[in-house]
Amino acid sequence: MKLPPALRRPAAVIGLTLLALQIVMIVFAPAISPYSPVDADPVASLQPPSAAHWFGTDITGMDVFSRVVYATRINLLISVVSVAGAFVIGVPLGLLIGYYRGAASSFAMRLFDFIQAFPIFVLGMALVAVMGQEIWNVAIVLAILFIPIFARLIRAEVLSLRERPFVAAARCSGASDRHIMFRHLLPNALLPAMVQVSISIGMAILLTAGLSFIGAGVRMPTPEWGLMVSTGAQQMILGVWWVSLFPGLAIVVAVLCFALLGDVMRDLLDPTRRPAPARAKRQPANTGQTP
Amino acid sequence: MLLGLRRRWERVPRALQIVLPRLALLVPQMFGVLFVTFFLIRLLPGDPAVLLLGNMATPDAVAQLRDRLGLNDSVWVQFLTYCGNVLHGDLGISIFTSNPVTVDLLERAPATLELIAYAMVLTVIIGVTVAVASVVRPGGAVDMGARVYGLAAGAIPDFWIGLILIYVFFTMLGWSAAPFGRIDAMMSAPPYVTGFYTVDALLAGDVAALTSAAGRLVLPVLTIAIVNAGALMKMTQSIFAGAWRSDFVRHARACGVPERVIIRAAMCNSLPPIITMIGFLVGFLLGAAVLVETIFSWGGLGQYAVQAVMNSDYPALQGFVLVAAAFILVVYLVVDILYELADPRIKV
Amino acid sequence: MMRETAGTPVLRIDGLTLVAETAEGERVLLDGLDLRLMPNEILGIVGETGAGKSLLARAMIDLLPSGVRRDRGEVLIEGRVLSQMTPAERRALRGGVVSLIGTNAKALLDPVERVGAQLVRVLRSHKRLPRHAAWAQAVQLLADVGIVNPEERAKAYPHELSGGMAQRVVIAMALIAEPKIVLADDATLGLDATVSVQVLDMLVERSRRMGCSVVLITHDLGIVAHYCNRVAVMRGGRIEEMAPTADFIAAPREPYSRALLDAAKARPVPSVRGVGAAGAPLLAIENLVKIFPGSRPGEQVRAVDGVSFTVRRGETLALVGESGSGKTTIGQCLVRLLQATSGRILFDGEDVTHWPENRFRTLRRQIQMVFQEPYVALNPRWRVRQLVDEPLAMLETLSAAERLKRVHEVLALVDLSTRTAELFPHELTAGEQKRVGIARALATRPDFVIFDEPTTALDIRVRAQIIDLVRDLQNRMQLSALFITHDLNSVRSLAHDVAVMNRGRIVEAGAMDEVFARPKDPYTRKLLSAELAIEQAAPPLGDRMQGVLP
Repeated sequence: MKLPPALRRPAAVIGLTLLALQIVMIVFAPAISPYSPVDADPVASLQPPSAAHWFGTDITGMDVFSRVVYATRINLLISVVSVAGAFVIGVPLGLLIGYYRGAASSFAMRLFDFIQAFPIFVLGMALVAVMGQEIWNVAIVLAILFIPIFARLIRAEVLSLRERPFVAAARCSGASDRHIMFRHLLPNALLPAMVQVSISIGMAILLTAGLSFIGAGVRMPTPEWGLMVSTGAQQMILGVWWVSLFPGLAIVVAVLCFALLGDVMRDLLDPTRRPAPARAKRQPANTGQTP
Repeated sequence: MLLGLRRRWERVPRALQIVLPRLALLVPQMFGVLFVTFFLIRLLPGDPAVLLLGNMATPDAVAQLRDRLGLNDSVWVQFLTYCGNVLHGDLGISIFTSNPVTVDLLERAPATLELIAYAMVLTVIIGVTVAVASVVRPGGAVDMGARVYGLAAGAIPDFWIGLILIYVFFTMLGWSAAPFGRIDAMMSAPPYVTGFYTVDALLAGDVAALTSAAGRLVLPVLTIAIVNAGALMKMTQSIFAGAWRSDFVRHARACGVPERVIIRAAMCNSLPPIITMIGFLVGFLLGAAVLVETIFSWGGLGQYAVQAVMNSDYPALQGFVLVAAAFILVVYLVVDILYELADPRIKV
Repeated sequence: MMRETAGTPVLRIDGLTLVAETAEGERVLLDGLDLRLMPNEILGIVGETGAGKSLLARAMIDLLPSGVRRDRGEVLIEGRVLSQMTPAERRALRGGVVSLIGTNAKALLDPVERVGAQLVRVLRSHKRLPRHAAWAQAVQLLADVGIVNPEERAKAYPHELSGGMAQRVVIAMALIAEPKIVLADDATLGLDATVSVQVLDMLVERSRRMGCSVVLITHDLGIVAHYCNRVAVMRGGRIEEMAPTADFIAAPREPYSRALLDAAKARPVPSVRGVGAAGAPLLAIENLVKIFPGSRPGEQVRAVDGVSFTVRRGETLALVGESGSGKTTIGQCLVRLLQATSGRILFDGEDVTHWPENRFRTLRRQIQMVFQEPYVALNPRWRVRQLVDEPLAMLETLSAAERLKRVHEVLALVDLSTRTAELFPHELTAGEQKRVGIARALATRPDFVIFDEPTTALDIRVRAQIIDLVRDLQNRMQLSALFITHDLNSVRSLAHDVAVMNRGRIVEAGAMDEVFARPKDPYTRKLLSAELAIEQAAPPLGDRMQGVLP
């Protein structure tokens, strides 16, 4: 079978390769990492990269390479779970408030306005600080922050889709509200949301790392990229670059991977990149004749 | 009666017709923000009074605060008390600094605003120029560079790139100023006028202070701009490309209108959504400031918030969140008004 | 006539070949095309979608779409070779010597700039003159193109103009730098017929007065017959036939031109009235009113304002009128996409106006609607099979196998092959999409079908095929139909009765041949006079306009 052109582009190849790399790191972390990710070794503190420690060691003597590999598990777990949660709640919510316009749906929109009036990082920081700095709390907070994004996206899609003539045509064919919502609107609205999923996972990785960096995320000695960057931050100015550099690169790679996959998905979905329908010049509608 | 009112309303200038309803909307929005910050603290298990005073508080002090917060009343009365306090500028006492939170925040706000303001300007300049250049000359060097940058910028954590910049430009090359605060430790801050050190130094004619303050700004501003300009560039690109491909641009070209005039016209058409983007950007910059200030020991609101998180200083955290949200709401308000002014199609 | 074709051509195209570079290799879009345009001549270029008409126009000003390049041949304008000009010369040529008027004027105007300023922008791109002088000239030209109150209108934004006015502004933009050649690419597509005729009359008259040549690119042979001195028929990137208009209308040489001309003429009259002609009406509308809230609070728009009519079994009523006349609103009220504000709708003698939605659903089997725009009325993610099956699954109690059988029956009924069933809408041609829309409506074997603008935006031959198909269905299925359209030509072929609508009211109704032959209402007369039928081809306007020439 021939791959669609969108998957043959270099961006797609790089994105999929990076994804495969991360999956390998998640599944085979114990086999790949030469040291334990959490055992301190004060003797081997702050050693630069070498054959024994590829990425060097941090101030407590933990092996940076092993920790970077293991952290893939934590970081991707938090991001994927939070985005999945936001998707599962946000999409049906968006469908409902887009389809039924009433007091409840405008109330929901106002609520989202309030949530989104807060800078996302600031609110995340405050919520995690208040709820307690646990992995699951970080995931829950991110999910809460992302729900409005998905709900708004789907709502906006549904609002424009429901005015499309094919919905009116379905109604004339005797379709019920439920049939229209789930068979006509949802499949058409879902695909833009899939692009958002990819982008949001990248955002979640950055937010998780940022929260841990300022001490509002997971705690030591859990291997987590943002936390690792922060443990190296103090020594960076003294010339110890490896403790912060490598986990930071891991973040870049992970986010880049999902950004590329998002672009690929957008290409796959963009109707203008599909074989163009042969049709007559569309007549511009509603050109009134009144002077 | 109603008709008469409407007729009078229609005589009000268009700009005012846009501004006044938006201002009225700010009141319920602020109310919503207060609601969220109020319940933020109620999410915590335990006695809010103890949380707000810290573990070291005496039972007397706790009882006193319980009384003041009205904790013995219903939750709605408490909320109203809270709103009343906020309206009087009372955000509580910081556990960590023992100062009123309002005082702490006012003291630190100019540092953050100065940082954000310069970062904003740089971000917009980079984002918009690169976007326009890449759309006008597709496939050119700028376009290629923009593509790579757009992808990479969105993936770089700001706190990390800040550290890398410090390592390269301060530790390795020794070009930049030390990442410790807004001005050389040996120097005193210029006399307070605006709170922006660069502006105040300029007003005071203090060249040394100006150089130092400007030098200290370079790396943090660069850090924020590098990360955020990518996102702005990508969005501007897609908006501007939409205008650039539109029928009216093709038609203007078919009429022999010169390219630079066409670019300006396309830009005017892209302006409303770009203004909205820039508004959203302020929110992102405020979040970025929290991280970047910590790295550069900036001593602004962001660093204050991080200290509050680490010390479980809930009054300070609550106060910061409230002020940040209020600030963003005001920014959105300004953005909405500019948007409507920039687009004649919007009916009042 | 010969007087105009004498002299040296203002525009000459020699062996022009354009190719598109695609992933599968090069595709020839224009194939060794030759053309001469004489001074003061009005040349019509007709052809169907994909013939390369618009591309030809863009080649004349050297603004090819990206991915298309000139392979061979030259375009010469006033003797100068276009491809040898400098970019600055080419820019000065566009709008200055050759100007283009496109389709859908509203999209051609900068939405956030006042129209007067847009005219000034074009003028000052070609002539050095102060802003206020340019503004005065722009206002004068707006008056010349028939815009009332031009000082005020020059300060308007495009969204404040009607389609017809916007088209006049675009024409003014094309004329303001006093070009030698005006290219009008389907310039009046989408405008109401009465407006279209006024705009074309004005365009031709102004061009005559300014002494410039006009190329009218269109798919409407009526426009060619009425306005052009010569006509070129395009197909597949070539010119099939080029002849003086009168000769062409009288006797086209090529088989393809003949087919086009036949398709553009009115089809034979509709079938004889159905069997139930004498019986009670199948559908009766009494005093129907639909009010929409206006753009300002408290304002009301009476889209449909006290309309009554009846349709008997086996008969077709055509509701004709221009955009905004309320005809589509009536259709939507009938299928309950809108709830009428007041009045009664009786179907088969029963008042169904206030039936609750679930009871009305039982009626949907009998009343179906064919939607106007074929592509957007089909869910892009569904296959044709699923699309045609939807009404059956929703409204009939049939097994899956029976439904599939019915789907294939209906597809055959509208002349679509079984192969089509597995395709997605975007893989179909416009004509096929239209047929799928009709198949959906016929799947439940309804008694009454509403056709909303069934012939709009279709190519000449496809339109003729759809008309033939609908007429065939009327005969075979004894359909009763409401036919909503502004295409008077199709009404001649399809409707027994006609009701003319204007601003929400029916101004005249009666038997089709009677109303069309002896219109009583002034509005009906205006509509009929705006119809550019080929059969009644007036002497080409070029000749009519001879008196205008200096």
